[in-house]
Amino acid sequence: MTAALLRFELAAARKGRTAPLFAAGFALACVTVALAGLSANGALSVQGFARTSISLLQLVLWVVPLLALLTGAAAGAECYELEYVAALPFTRSQIVLTRWAAWLGALGAALCIGLGGAGVVIAVFAGTADAGRYLGLLCFALLLLSACLAVGLAIGVRLRDRGRALAFAVVAWCVLAVGVDLAAIGLLAILPAGTASWPLSFILLLDPIDLARVLGLGLFSADEIAGPTGAALRAVMGGWGASLLLAGLVAWTALPLLFAAGTFRRRDL
Amino acid sequence: MIELRQVWKRYGERVVLQPLDLRVRSGETVALVGPNGAGKSTALRILAGTVQASGGSVTREGTIAYLPQRLGVPPATVVGDLAALVAAARNVDGALVRDALSAAGLADRLDTPLGELSGGQRQRVMLALATAGEVGVLLLDEPGISLDVEGAEEVRAAIAAARERGAAVLFASHHLHDVALLADRIVLLVEGRVVAQGSLAELAASAGVPWHASAADPPIERIYRVLVRRSRQLGPARAA
Repeated sequence: MTAALLRFELAAARKGRTAPLFAAGFALACVTVALAGLSANGALSVQGFARTSISLLQLVLWVVPLLALLTGAAAGAECYELEYVAALPFTRSQIVLTRWAAWLGALGAALCIGLGGAGVVIAVFAGTADAGRYLGLLCFALLLLSACLAVGLAIGVRLRDRGRALAFAVVAWCVLAVGVDLAAIGLLAILPAGTASWPLSFILLLDPIDLARVLGLGLFSADEIAGPTGAALRAVMGGWGASLLLAGLVAWTALPLLFAAGTFRRRDL
Repeated sequence: MIELRQVWKRYGERVVLQPLDLRVRSGETVALVGPNGAGKSTALRILAGTVQASGGSVTREGTIAYLPQRLGVPPATVVGDLAALVAAARNVDGALVRDALSAAGLADRLDTPLGELSGGQRQRVMLALATAGEVGVLLLDEPGISLDVEGAEEVRAAIAAARERGAAVLFASHHLHDVALLADRIVLLVEGRVVAQGSLAELAASAGVPWHASAADPPIERIYRVLVRRSRQLGPARAA
């Protein structure tokens, strides 16, 4: 029966405008970034997956969280329009979780189309070296999408009103995309040299976008190709390992979903 | 069968439903009537499980079908997708649900979003879906809203058919002639409390309105007005 609800939600997500528009726009942006990277030296066959992926990672880190937070917030607020569905023999948790899964499927497919299109361009013009790592980038992007969708859904379910939820989602995006980094910079300025690793690592776990950023940079040995920023991040994360970062991203999906399901279960429609 | 025992509901400081006892047996049709804000929809929502009671106990036996007053799904929802969901949720053949839509003259609307249908068509879709398959309990909140004469007749037929099949039917309506025609028992709610309940003959006697069951056109509007006016004159304390 959960499969039926998932099919219902998937159909709704697929037939809306958000996923197709995202697929088209993101694919265009990814291919443009890939081509622009390749043509930096005036030729179309110089840059490979590794360097182009760093540029694509930046695109993912800015665009995916914003879209996922907004979509999740709208989907969460829309849960309260499902009085008819809630009276069918489905639990409230099923309703929330299938909404998240359906949007993850729809936007995840769009993400794959976008990064896939760029991957094809890179493979054709620059060869397939580091293609495996590029797939890793896609996986991190999907994890980031999953986490931000869950956060957005929690915001929507909590605030109930669509307009307020969307506004709060934008604020959340600003905080996660920029605010946490500013806090980290401030912390670096305050703390004595050599003592910032643990506080910075803690701050890192508070931000799914930064988690995905560090994972992505680590994937492509960013200390070698992404300049001092990548090297600094790698140095800070030296003893932690990717598994903890991955666990952090998974937690950023699980905890907001638990919160959303619990909140929706207690509320009247 | 459905039963509410001492069920009440509060939104913030405002009590919208005073402790209510209500039982609808299989094969019985009960109508909830009363002015706007009387608590009819709240009682139905509690029974449907979309609103939680502040206190009391709720018993539901059998498959519940609920037609809310508002649409109950996003307007972009496509008719065929909702039909498939209802079929899966009730564990019935999808063809049965599509047949119910065909019978309502909506077979060619399976690919149409509900928001693109007229109010009457939307209501007929939702009614067809609500009554498709084996239904143990049928809860209808203002089922005749937005419907033309033919649509209203479909509602009456659907309620009668559900009762014939042994369902417990509880519906809220402002269409008092439908209530007189369909209900075995009428529950009158005013400002969240039951002020009268019983068969039409019992309500007529309670209101002091002369009427015999054999007479055509029961004076239900007069009975209703007398009972509502009396409850308001008595006030909450006396009536409680």
